[in-house]
Amino acid sequence: MRHRRQRSVRGATPFVQASVVTRRVMVAGAVATTAVAAVLPLATAAYAADPATDMIAFLLLSEALTGVSRQTLAPELVEDKNEILNSDPGVDPINIKNTYFKWIGDHDPTSSFGKLLQLAKDNRQSLGNIIPKVNGSADDMVCLARSIVLLWYLGSWYEPDDLKNKVASPRVKVVSPRAYTQGLVWRVAGAHPMGYSNLQFGYWSRDPRDPSSPGLFDPSKT
Amino acid sequence: MADNCITCHVAIVGSGFAGSLIANELRRKGVTVAILEAGPGVQPNINDYMRRFYGASAKVPESPYPPEMIDQNGQTVDPASVAAGRPTALTLSQSNWQDTLKAYLDQTTDEPNKKTRPFKSTYERLAGGTSHWMGLTPRLVPNDFRMKTTYGKGQADFPFSDWPISYDTVSPWYEKAEAELGVSADADEQRFAGITFSTPGYTYPMPRIPQSLFDRRVGAALAQLNEAETKFLGTATPVTALTVRSLPAARNSQPYRNRRACAGNTSCIPICPIQAKYDATITLNEATNNGAQLIHHAVASEILVENGSVSGIKYIKYGEKSGSKAGENCVIKAKIYVIAANGIETPRLLLMSRNQIAKGVANSSDMVGRNLMDHPQYLTWGLLPDPVFPYRGPLVTSAIGDLCDGAFRRQRAAFRISLGNEAWSAVVGGVGGDPQVTTLDFINGTNASGLNKKDFTQLPDNSALFGANLTQTLGNLISRQFRIAFAVEQSPDPNNRVTLSSVKDGLNLPRPRIAYDVSDYTKRGIAAAFRMKKLIFSKLGATDFTNVAPSDPGRFDETIDRNVEQLTYGGAGHLMGTYRMGDDPKTSVVDSWLRSHDHPNLYLVGSGTFPTVGTANPTLTLSALALRTADRIVEVLPSFE
Repeated sequence: MRHRRQRSVRGATPFVQASVVTRRVMVAGAVATTAVAAVLPLATAAYAADPATDMIAFLLLSEALTGVSRQTLAPELVEDKNEILNSDPGVDPINIKNTYFKWIGDHDPTSSFGKLLQLAKDNRQSLGNIIPKVNGSADDMVCLARSIVLLWYLGSWYEPDDLKNKVASPRVKVVSPRAYTQGLVWRVAGAHPMGYSNLQFGYWSRDPRDPSSPGLFDPSKT
Repeated sequence: MADNCITCHVAIVGSGFAGSLIANELRRKGVTVAILEAGPGVQPNINDYMRRFYGASAKVPESPYPPEMIDQNGQTVDPASVAAGRPTALTLSQSNWQDTLKAYLDQTTDEPNKKTRPFKSTYERLAGGTSHWMGLTPRLVPNDFRMKTTYGKGQADFPFSDWPISYDTVSPWYEKAEAELGVSADADEQRFAGITFSTPGYTYPMPRIPQSLFDRRVGAALAQLNEAETKFLGTATPVTALTVRSLPAARNSQPYRNRRACAGNTSCIPICPIQAKYDATITLNEATNNGAQLIHHAVASEILVENGSVSGIKYIKYGEKSGSKAGENCVIKAKIYVIAANGIETPRLLLMSRNQIAKGVANSSDMVGRNLMDHPQYLTWGLLPDPVFPYRGPLVTSAIGDLCDGAFRRQRAAFRISLGNEAWSAVVGGVGGDPQVTTLDFINGTNASGLNKKDFTQLPDNSALFGANLTQTLGNLISRQFRIAFAVEQSPDPNNRVTLSSVKDGLNLPRPRIAYDVSDYTKRGIAAAFRMKKLIFSKLGATDFTNVAPSDPGRFDETIDRNVEQLTYGGAGHLMGTYRMGDDPKTSVVDSWLRSHDHPNLYLVGSGTFPTVGTANPTLTLSALALRTADRIVEVLPSFE
């Protein structure tokens, strides 16, 4: 147990270590607890009463709001068939979900993040309810939800307060160079982040829908 | 003093394209060379620049490169505190461009009633120079070298002059530059507007870069044009010859000189993550590996003259961090001096050198700093009926070049049309450009992009979306975005001018002051570009989203087809004309070898020497001329021993 905790603390654990960890340790939710606890801002987060399930709730929330499957958001996610909240979120080489989870916790001046996570937990059996319920929530919650989606789409943090006030030039910050390269909007548009591509010479002259091309990104694909 | 002195055969100020190419050629011939570079030296790798680029909230040209002109909190840094500052895209906004506490270039005017427009181009000051270039390398065409002769007959006030050299003189040097930079293009495809090749059977170093889906879409649209609707262009080129051609680019289409083929990272401006795009550090490294001395963080402050010849260049060496006012005064001494510091910093240095000659060095003609030109860009953007999948491939792969020359040049400016593969990233108003702006619109229910309307989404106006609605809407709209840019020839105007400002930089040197406007001749070219845009958009079946911000200080109105249209221009980053070449020492600064008319051992290189600028991106031409000058220096150096 202690061994696992130490590895997980480091956010960007090297891939080999990470896969060893995630593949072996799937027995119980109790194990996942420590992994998530390590990345939580425990001192400030009122919602961290049950941190293990919070990361899974975050992924469920993010899947519903972004329209992109949780397996894409967390490539090493190993699901518990009986209770999704007991799943192991896993550690992947980029681990952007942990970066974002911590960032949101640190930058939510309201208690909206905890409420959104609870909403996701409550609707884990029917994720389709999440969008209407978020849209029916208080402004602070809606705008934090929008900041979360912008984070996934662009790797940038838009101040929820500025979104709420529809400020023409909202304050925005790229969370990290790595976050920029993980932006989903590029993939949704059939492209790649500018300056970050692993495609080959000449690919741009072919239609991505062409059978000889890598194909278009399917957001719902698991 | 001895410790502060460097002695060599040839001293070069500036390690950009021209400076690096000359240094490398001279080292190959055994000439000793030292280069002063105002900014940082060559980095061990580009990882740090990539991190800066990825982390920047606006991916503007300067984003990867030091020094910081914007601080951690997004506030502008006072350029008076920066040792070697520079103009940046983020200091060109309406509220910043004339504020010398925010913008490096002083664009204020003494006459409150005089209309002045912003000079919108920027540059870098670091080893390798303006590495943020796009990498496009078309040649000038023969008539670009003889505008007055070809199109100025009977027009007393025709503003263009001829170059003192012809296309045929430059042609072999173009080939050498194409080899050095590593250009991908197809020679047969490039034979238009009089372009020929001096070597029989010439082939470019690499095959052309493949066209994008959008390039082909525009090609199909051009095929629908007819003579009647293109009559306004005033060109003798038959409409059937108006085609999309691959653009020559210093971008590897196969491995070349130990660099990889382009992988289509779509970030040519500002930085290629795999250096498939040539930048001058490649040649600079070769020169320094071969013994050239690069002195970085060294700002030339004065050219010293004795008995009509340059006797040394004073420079200030400063600490690694910008903002240090402490500088060490040093002098570099050589037989021959080359100033390669770009179209703004070169005239600045010449004008700063006024202790011995009041008008400044090399300035008996009073032409130093005058005739500042750019290629004003008319940027247009729209939405296609179905996807072409932008944000894939190099930023630009093709152009419509055939409108760069014709009899219409008697009356209005020519233009080249470049086709963008980067959608609305650099054109749409709003925070950080696209896809940020469009994404924010559909997540927060705003409409800065213009796309969040029922007409385009079948959803209520200003929809705020989550989930599958969001992925589908963004995927559908972004994959249909495109932009087309018209690069317009700017006519030379002696009042468009670089002078010295009363405001200083961090080394207490006067910053450049700019006076700039766009002539009626050039505006008529932009107006013709507007009409061509409407025609192309209609053939594409595209919806036009081009707009001009009311706050844009470059904005002007033109009556086109009985409608008053609002137009503007963007900067191309091409700094040209400010130390023009010519045969007459009274009206030009350098001769055709780029040697100062006033000082026999002083060469001024770069696009500042262009007396007229055509519509081709200047880097290839300035590189060809630099190689020609290097050859000349080797030839004449013994006479200075």
